[in-house]
Amino acid sequence: MLTVCGLTKRHANAHRAVFRSLELAVGAGEVVALVGESGIGKSTFLNCIAGLETADAGQILIGQPEKDIVTLDETARAALRAREIGFVFQAFHILPTLTVGQNIAVPLLLGRAPPATHPARIAELLEQVGLSGFAERWPATLSGGELQRVAIARALVHRPSLILADEPTGNLDPRTADEVMSLLLDQVRRQRAGALVVTHSRHVASRCDRMLTMAGDGLR
Amino acid sequence: MNTLAWWLISAQFHSRRTATWLSMLAIALGVALGYAIHLINQAALADFARAMHRVQGEPDAVLAARDSAGSVPLAIVNQLAADPTVALVAPVIETRVRVAESLPAVRLIGVDLFSAGGLMPKLLPRPAEGATIADWLTGGVYVSPTVLARSDLRVGAPITLRRGDRLWTTRIAGDLPAMANEDLLLVADIAWVQEHFGPSDAVSEARILLEPDSAPAEWRRHTAQRLPAGLLLREADDDSARVSNLSRAYRVNLNVLALVALLTSAFLVFATQLTAVAQRSTHFAVLGVIGLSPRRRLLQILLEGLAIGFPGALLGLLMGYALAVAFTQLLGGDLGGGFFSGGVPLIRPTLTATLAFCFLGALTSVAGAIYPAYLNRRQPLAQALKIGFSPTPTGEAAHDHRRLKRLAALSLSAVALSHAPPLFELPLAGYAAIAVLLLIGIDAAPLLTHRLFSAGASLPLPATQRIALQNVAQAPLMAQVAASGLIVSFALTASMVIMVSSFRVAVDHWLDEVLPAPIYLRSKGTPLPPEVLSALRQADAPFVKVEGTAHGTLTLDPRRPDVGLIVREIDRQHPAQRLPLTGRLATPPDDRLPVVWISEALQEIYGIHPGQLLRLPLLGRDVELFVGGVWRDYSRQFGALVISRDDYQRLGGEFQANDLALWPRAGQEASAMTWLTAHTDRHGLRVSTVGEIRDLSLAIFDKSFAVTYALEAAAMLIGLFGLAVTLATSVWLRSREWATLGALGFDRRMLSRAVMLEGALIAVIGLLIGLACGVAIGAVLTHVVNPQAFHWRMPLIVPWSRLLVGAVLTLAAALLASRHAARQATRLPLAQILASGQ
Repeated sequence: MLTVCGLTKRHANAHRAVFRSLELAVGAGEVVALVGESGIGKSTFLNCIAGLETADAGQILIGQPEKDIVTLDETARAALRAREIGFVFQAFHILPTLTVGQNIAVPLLLGRAPPATHPARIAELLEQVGLSGFAERWPATLSGGELQRVAIARALVHRPSLILADEPTGNLDPRTADEVMSLLLDQVRRQRAGALVVTHSRHVASRCDRMLTMAGDGLR
Repeated sequence: MNTLAWWLISAQFHSRRTATWLSMLAIALGVALGYAIHLINQAALADFARAMHRVQGEPDAVLAARDSAGSVPLAIVNQLAADPTVALVAPVIETRVRVAESLPAVRLIGVDLFSAGGLMPKLLPRPAEGATIADWLTGGVYVSPTVLARSDLRVGAPITLRRGDRLWTTRIAGDLPAMANEDLLLVADIAWVQEHFGPSDAVSEARILLEPDSAPAEWRRHTAQRLPAGLLLREADDDSARVSNLSRAYRVNLNVLALVALLTSAFLVFATQLTAVAQRSTHFAVLGVIGLSPRRRLLQILLEGLAIGFPGALLGLLMGYALAVAFTQLLGGDLGGGFFSGGVPLIRPTLTATLAFCFLGALTSVAGAIYPAYLNRRQPLAQALKIGFSPTPTGEAAHDHRRLKRLAALSLSAVALSHAPPLFELPLAGYAAIAVLLLIGIDAAPLLTHRLFSAGASLPLPATQRIALQNVAQAPLMAQVAASGLIVSFALTASMVIMVSSFRVAVDHWLDEVLPAPIYLRSKGTPLPPEVLSALRQADAPFVKVEGTAHGTLTLDPRRPDVGLIVREIDRQHPAQRLPLTGRLATPPDDRLPVVWISEALQEIYGIHPGQLLRLPLLGRDVELFVGGVWRDYSRQFGALVISRDDYQRLGGEFQANDLALWPRAGQEASAMTWLTAHTDRHGLRVSTVGEIRDLSLAIFDKSFAVTYALEAAAMLIGLFGLAVTLATSVWLRSREWATLGALGFDRRMLSRAVMLEGALIAVIGLLIGLACGVAIGAVLTHVVNPQAFHWRMPLIVPWSRLLVGAVLTLAAALLASRHAARQATRLPLAQILASGQ
C-alpha cells in the first residue's frame, strides 16, 4: 500500500534536516501509528507522503501499480491523491457550505465512478459510520464526533488504498475519540486499505496494528 | 461545468450573497452604461443616415462645390449628362429660408420633378386635392410634415419665404409624405428656385446615377480628374462617414468613460473574489488534499468570476436597453456633444453589439478574478490547512525590490505611451497610459501601506489606534484589495475634475479673446439683411465700431467633416488683435499674397504649418494662400481658417456677413440694444450681449460634460462598495483575532472604533494614491487625449480645493461604508469563536 525509502526533508531556509533517510512500509489492511514529540516532523512526514510537501530525497511508493509521489508534478500528485489516498484531519475540515452528502461525494466527483452509483455509495458509507439519514444535513448542525465520522466516510468513499490520519481524535472527548477510532480501524480493515495514523495519544496508538516512534535518528 | 464546480459556485453565492450581488450589479452598471451609450449613438447615426438617404436618395456619385459659397456650373452638369456611363443626373439647388417665427431657417430644395423621381423618390411631393402640374411649375411649394406640425401653415394656404430682407409669397401646393418627423424642409421646382434665389447658371449639387453595368468607383476616379479644382465628386456614403467621423472621438471618449465604470466593477469583482479565496483558503486546501488539481482550483475561481459576470452582463444589457430607450424618449439622440439634435431615434439593438457587450461584461468579471484565482492555485496546501490564507508578505526586502522594479518599468511604459502618436486618429495609447497609471497606483498600495503604517504602529498610541495601524500595516494585501476600487474611482474622478477645470478655464479665457465686442448680432444660415447693414452705417446709429464676419465651409477631404471658412474684418498686419494666436506669426513673402490663419485642429489634422504656401479650393478654383499663423479654436473641432475680408474680396469673393460685432457709443449701451432690437426684430435675427453669449457657451460646455458626472458618480459608488465589502470580509476573516482582543479587554465600542479606523486608514491610502494617479491621468487627458481626440490644447490646472473637498467627502463616505463592517465586529459571538477555535 505504502513504501517509503530513504526519505529526507530539509527546512526551506536551513540545511538542517527535518528528518533523514526514513524507511516505512504499510501493508493492506494494516494500521500503523506514528508517535513522537511535538515539532519532530510527524505532520511534515505525513504531508510528504500525501504530496502536500516535497521531499528532498527518497521514494514514496503508493497504489497499485505503484507510483513514486516524490517524482510527480503537482497535478499528477493531486490525481494520485484523488485515486489512492483518503485523509482524516484533527480539525475535521468538513466544508461548511456543502451538505453532509455533498461533502462525502467530493472524492467520488474527482474520481472515475459513474455518477449514477454515487448516491448508493454515499448512503452505504453513511450507514457504516452510523449517520444514516444525515445526507441532507448541514455540517453546522453536527457535533464534533459526528463531523469526524463524516470525515472518515469522505476519506473512504472512493475506496483508496491508503488512509492518512493526522491526530484524528485530537479534538474529541475520550469517549467519542474511542468510538471514532473504532470506526476508523473497522472501516480501514473492511476495505483492506493501509493506514498511517499520526497521534499524540498512546491509547490511540495502542489500538493500531503497529506503533512507530519518530525521533531525531529516524523511525523506531 | 461539473457538479462540484456548480456546488461550490452555489455555496459561494449563498454564503456571500451581498458581495456577490454587489459585484454583479457593478458589472451590470458598467455594461448598461456602455451599451446604452452605444445604442444611442448608433441609433442617432442610423437616423442621420436614413434622413440623408430620404433627401439625397442613393446616387452613385454626388457632384458639389468644395466651398460652401460655390456652386456647380450647369455646363459641367450638361457635360456629365452626355456621358454614356451616366444613366441619370438630378440637379439640385438648396438654400435656407425662414417661413415661420416658430421655426429655425429651413432647407428649400429645388429639384427637377422628372429626374428626382428616378433618384430621390422620397422627395416627390403629394399634390393637394385639385392641384395640377401647373402648380409645381409656377412656384408651388411642398412642405414636410414637421414644418406643418410646428407652424400654423396649412396645405393650400399661402406661404412667405424670407431670405435676408427679401420676401417671396407663394402657396403650399402639397406635402412630402415620405419625410420623417425630424425633417424640416420644403421642395419646389428647380427652375422656380433658381429664378428667385439663383444662381442662374449653376446648381448646388448634381446627383448622378450610373448605368447598371458600370464601375462607379472607377468612373468617379476618372471623372474627378477632369473636373475644375473647386468641384468635388464624392460617394453618397461619404456624408454618413463624415457625420460618423464628426462625432467619432466624442463617442469613443464616452465609451471609454463607460468602460471606466466597467473597469471599476472589475476591481469590485477582484475584491470579492480575493476575499472569497482568503475566506475559503482552508476549504480549497481540503479539496486540494482530496485531489482537486491546482488547475481546477484556478478554474473554479475564474468560473465564479464568470458566474458573476455573465448574469451581470445580461442584466446590464436589459438595463442599458431600457436606459437608451428612456434617454432618447426624454432627451433625443444627443449625448451632450451637440452632434445629433432633433428627433427621437429608434433604438435597434444589433446581435453583434449585444453579444460584444455581453462578452465584455463577462470578460471583465473573469479578468477581475484572475489574480485571486492565481493566488488560489498557488496556496501551499499544508500551510493553508494549518493557518488559512497567506498572501506573500510585503516587507521582505527581495519582494519590495521586485515591486519597485515593476513600478519603475510600469512608470516608464506610462511615459512612453503618453508620448505615442494617435492610432487610427484616436488617442488609444493615451487610454493605455491611463490604464497603466491605474495599475501603478494599485501595485504601489501594499508597499505604501506597509511603509507608512509600520512606522506609525511603533508610536505610543492608545490601544485601539495602535491595533488598527498594526492590522493595516501587517495585512497590506487586504488593504490593497479594499483600496483598489477607491484608487481607481477616485483617480478617474479627480482626473476628470482636473481635465474639465482646465478646459473650462481655457474656454473662459478663450471667450475673452474671441468676443472683444459688447454686443453681437447673428443670423444663422442666411446673410444679414442689407437694410440692417445700411442702417448701421448711418451717422445716427449708436455704435462706434461694427465688424462683420461671414461663415462658410470648405470640403478638403470628402470623408472628413467640412472645415470652417471664416471671412473677417481683420487687420492682416495685426491678427492677434482679433485671434487668440498660438506660436509664432509668419510674414508673407509678398504683400499681395492672401494670408490665412489656421486653427490648431486644422494644423494637426492636415499637417499644415505657419509659413507654408497652401492651395485651397476657394471660390470655385484653386487659390494659393499663405499660412500666417495658428490660432486656438474650441468651437470647431475639425478645423477652421480665417481670411481677412480684404483678401477675400481681392480674390473675387463677395463678403456677406452673417455675424456682426458691435461696439456701442460710450454711455449708449442700453439705447443701442433698443435700437438694434427695433431694426432686427422683423428679420428674426438674434441680438446678444457678450455676457449672454459667454453664459450660453459655458452652459453648453457644462451640459456636454453632464454625462461624464453620472459615470464618475457610478464609479465612486462602486469603489465605496468595494471598500465596504472587503472590510466586512476582513472582519469575518479575523474574527478569532477580534475575539482574542475582546478576551484581552477590548469592549465592543473599542472593536468598532478599531474597524472604522482601519477603514479610514485604508481610505486615506486609497485617496492619496488616487489623488496622485488622478493628477497624472488628468495631465494625460489634458495634454494627450484632448489634443489627439479633439485637437483641443490647454494648460493643466489642478483645482486643489475642489479635489480636497472631494477627498474629504469620500473619506466621510468611506467611514460610513466601514460602519457596516464595524457593526459586524461588535456582533461577533466572541465566546463562541474562542471556544470553537474557528
